[in-house]
Amino acid sequence: MTDAALTANPAKRTLVRRSPFMRKAFPYVLLAPAVIYLLGITLYPGIYAIYRSLMTGKFKLEYVGLQNYRELVVDNAFWTSLSNTLLLGVATLFLEFVIALTLAALVYRDRWVKAWRILFLLPMLFMPSAVSFLWKLLFNDGRVISDLMTRAGFNLGNVDFMGSTFLARLVLVVTDVWQWTPFLFIIFVAALQGMDKEVEEAARLDGASWRKIFFNISLPMMRPVIAIALVLRGIDIITMFAPVHIITQGTPGGNTETLSYFIYRTAFKSFEQGYASAASVLLLIATVVLAQTLVRRFFKSGVE
Amino acid sequence: MLKKKSGLVTRRSLLKSSAAAGAALVSGVGGVSMFNVTGALAAMANPADVLAGINVGKYVKKEYREQYKLGDNDELWDPNKDWIRTVDWEAVRKEHAGKTVRFAIGAADRESAQDGIKPFLDLSGINVELVAIPDDSMYDKVVAEFLSGNASFDALQFFSPWLGDFAAQGFLKPLDEYAAKWKLPVDDFYDTYLMNYGHWGDKGLMGIPFDCDIQMVHIRPSIFKKVLGGDVDRVKSIPTYDEMIRLAPELNKAEKGVNAIGMMCGRGFWATYTWQHVAAQYGLELFNDKWEPIFNGDAGIKGLETIVALSKHAIEGVAAADWPTNRAAWLGGQVACNISWQDSGTQATRPDQSKIGDDVLTIYEPRVEGGRFAPPNIAGSTSCVTSTSPEPEAAFLMLAFLTSASIMAMNEANANGVAPGYKSVLTNEKLRSVSQPAKVWSEELDYAWCAPRLPNAFQMDQEIGFLINKVVVGEMQPKAALDEAAAKVRAIMEKSGFYKGADPVSYAAMAPGTWVGKDKKLPF
Amino acid sequence: MAGKPEKGIWLRKLVLVIWGLICFLPILFFATIALRPRNEIIAPEPIYFPTLTIETWAKIMDEWPLLSYFKNSVMAITGSVVICLVLGIPAAYALARYKFRGREDIGFYILSTKMMAPAAIAIPIFVLFGQFRILDTVWALMLVYAAMNLSIVVWIIRSYMLDIPLEIEDAARTDGASDLRILWSIIIPLCLPGIVTAAVIAAIFSMNEYLFTLIIASKNAYPLSVALANFSGGSDGIIYNAIALVSFMAFFPILLLVILIQNHLSRGLTMGAVKG
Repeated sequence: MTDAALTANPAKRTLVRRSPFMRKAFPYVLLAPAVIYLLGITLYPGIYAIYRSLMTGKFKLEYVGLQNYRELVVDNAFWTSLSNTLLLGVATLFLEFVIALTLAALVYRDRWVKAWRILFLLPMLFMPSAVSFLWKLLFNDGRVISDLMTRAGFNLGNVDFMGSTFLARLVLVVTDVWQWTPFLFIIFVAALQGMDKEVEEAARLDGASWRKIFFNISLPMMRPVIAIALVLRGIDIITMFAPVHIITQGTPGGNTETLSYFIYRTAFKSFEQGYASAASVLLLIATVVLAQTLVRRFFKSGVE
Repeated sequence: MLKKKSGLVTRRSLLKSSAAAGAALVSGVGGVSMFNVTGALAAMANPADVLAGINVGKYVKKEYREQYKLGDNDELWDPNKDWIRTVDWEAVRKEHAGKTVRFAIGAADRESAQDGIKPFLDLSGINVELVAIPDDSMYDKVVAEFLSGNASFDALQFFSPWLGDFAAQGFLKPLDEYAAKWKLPVDDFYDTYLMNYGHWGDKGLMGIPFDCDIQMVHIRPSIFKKVLGGDVDRVKSIPTYDEMIRLAPELNKAEKGVNAIGMMCGRGFWATYTWQHVAAQYGLELFNDKWEPIFNGDAGIKGLETIVALSKHAIEGVAAADWPTNRAAWLGGQVACNISWQDSGTQATRPDQSKIGDDVLTIYEPRVEGGRFAPPNIAGSTSCVTSTSPEPEAAFLMLAFLTSASIMAMNEANANGVAPGYKSVLTNEKLRSVSQPAKVWSEELDYAWCAPRLPNAFQMDQEIGFLINKVVVGEMQPKAALDEAAAKVRAIMEKSGFYKGADPVSYAAMAPGTWVGKDKKLPF
Repeated sequence: MAGKPEKGIWLRKLVLVIWGLICFLPILFFATIALRPRNEIIAPEPIYFPTLTIETWAKIMDEWPLLSYFKNSVMAITGSVVICLVLGIPAAYALARYKFRGREDIGFYILSTKMMAPAAIAIPIFVLFGQFRILDTVWALMLVYAAMNLSIVVWIIRSYMLDIPLEIEDAARTDGASDLRILWSIIIPLCLPGIVTAAVIAAIFSMNEYLFTLIIASKNAYPLSVALANFSGGSDGIIYNAIALVSFMAFFPILLLVILIQNHLSRGLTMGAVKG
């Protein structure tokens, strides 16, 4: 369930405070260290990225105005990476959502729910870099998936998963879905378990099937939870990096390159930091807009 | 990514065993203090004893010594060309003992490099501090240090395509004077390394070649026998790339689980190097004498078409194959014929690394009709002294130690991928007995092709490679891709200061290094 | 779950078992990789029943400083968690208990730092740390991890603090306890589960961090996540058995921590928004 306290109002009753100054200043004093720390590591980089994006050169920085941005908006590789990021993100998120919700619905009334939960959780407990190597091995280097498919009767030989855009993207999607479906699953199970049992029971006594109960009662009640879970997962997917870096490096032809990888390789492999910074600034703006519109709606810090 | 080709004396056994050697010597010697040079000198080990300890018995992995029946004191090099055994260490000590040089390293294991360099301290009295730099930021860090005008290191080792970037900016100290004074055996280097890893155009000796790589073609005789019906031959089995394309479909069927061709067509510089390898045989020139890119001409296109034809029969995943992936497939026995660096041919013979063992033969570069014999020497690493170093001479001596013939020969014996570029090493019969590709390799070096080390060369390699990858996966046609690549390269060249009447480096000075095989008779 | 037996129970169990296998079999395969000699990992056809030996481990440990990778991870993660808690607990308390101007904006700002794409600030962070000469140190990793996770820690702990009835504090305050005293001896002990949950979640995310770590760490500061990348870029090619071994070195501690907080996991993952 969404935290009741999120919308409840803890400040309805103000605590007894000794002096008016204390009352005013104290919370700011408590917050200051954390906020200053975060500003140092977000505001400074943001400003530096803007500054750097207006410069070009490696040895001598030269002011070029919006030149980097002008080049960026006509760079196919940039737009490809942007659309890949969205495409991979949507596909991955959708699959993870469907699988996690299905599993959660199947498991939350089970007697061994705790055991299932731990089992399904396991992939999430590996580092993303480890999982990327594992699936690189299974799909490409070790030919395991091809071999299992052959054994299962699909005689396709060794499939070239890196040769076609669809398959290479599929590999990235599978890697992410395998690892991160548990994230949504855990949250959905908890939400379903936290549901009012009496409502369900009453509906069941009225003769409603589990399926009906799930779709007509449980699911609508879960909507806020689903929204929060998807937003959190979506943010992570949009910054997908490790699988791209380890498995495809953007192959074939850049069709699996994500924005994060584009920035990384431009800055740290081609050493065009000004150009990469321009892309960073656009990404920053996108995340700020996203945060303001989507995230803010779902997380409230509890003020009326 | 970059790491492979910028590896210092890599962490495998060389450093491990030399650590033991170094430690043993040091314990008897004690530290050399800057403030007590004379006392320290008196206490220093006898150079002859230290040098005697730099031998096969201590430096080459035990299992490899057993595999090749190497004696502890076998010489895989010519002692007369081995700098550490010819230089006058007493003179070095007199001038430099007690000094400290800082050496920037990228991928190498700092701890073990520290150990590997210990005998140098014993010999010279020069301390070495290693400055470890994150691999993914080596370039940026180095640039930042140079720009500060006060680099925190005296020497550095890096990917050879960066040579132009640093040399053009005047970041590197010319070494000619020291090389002459300390009799560095520069003549012993193959010309291609001297011209492309050492000299920068006509601006002098900027670096000492470090990891001297060359790309070659390796085959598995057992599989070729099935297809050819007879014994394989280094010259005749695959005389031409056309023949390789013709054989490929048959090779593909010869053995279950084995594909015909392995090569690196991953995005970026990997694909570029594979293309350059083949296109060089068609006479590829990257630039004309005005530094205009001309690689989108006939040779470039034919080279690319050859790669596309080969990729049809290549191992799955070829479009994502970087060096580590390609190496894994080759050593795992998944391919019959591999186009890669020379160390693929050495490492294949080592059972702890490879499944194929003796079933490997490194052949002479296949020819092409109307082309030329131009085996490609691509992208190893070089080592340089910074122009701001307060102790450039001591830094030079340290690099000379690390790159000397005997140490490089033992690297090769250890199959650790760091390759010697010395004639005296690669023609040594003992060395050839432990390094399967050495004979062909040494002969091919007299005909080597190499891309000029221009400023931003690596960035160009990247851009070309992105487009080549698109051709390999069928998204673009060769001509269109190379045209676009040429336009990108021209833009990068322009940013580097070319075409404005004062080129950073003259074409005439760079051109001889791009192909050293002109007017030479073939070796077979 | 009284009443008539559920319809389709076997189908339901079958789906769960299949997904369980999908989760588990790759992990099992990965575990065998850690136990194989190198030349039985990649082959013309996959080897499902290899020679399993822990001798491989000795070899890997001999050539690579695995323990130092592990130590770096532990130090960077522990340090970052400490920073997060020291900065985060007071901040969470302020957000949970005080009414002041800009509270929502500040709370949201803290939350929004979680949305920051690592790639977007990688270059400035790299330059900044370069200027302070802390690249390739555990300290740098600590600072970055702390920054990444501070928002999560604040929000999780705040959520747990909101659960504590105000009456307890009121009583203490009437007895004359100061605000800090109340925070220290009443609030913190009462929301300990929340603090532990926050710490564990922060530890997991730190262990997973890849991009920053790749840019910051070199040999000296390699933690486990990027040590993996090292096993694929060196002159030895891709060393899958070492990769698998290191992956499990990171996996088991995380597994233990997660079991410790398993009933709080969903609340932690949603930054306190979903109770589980």
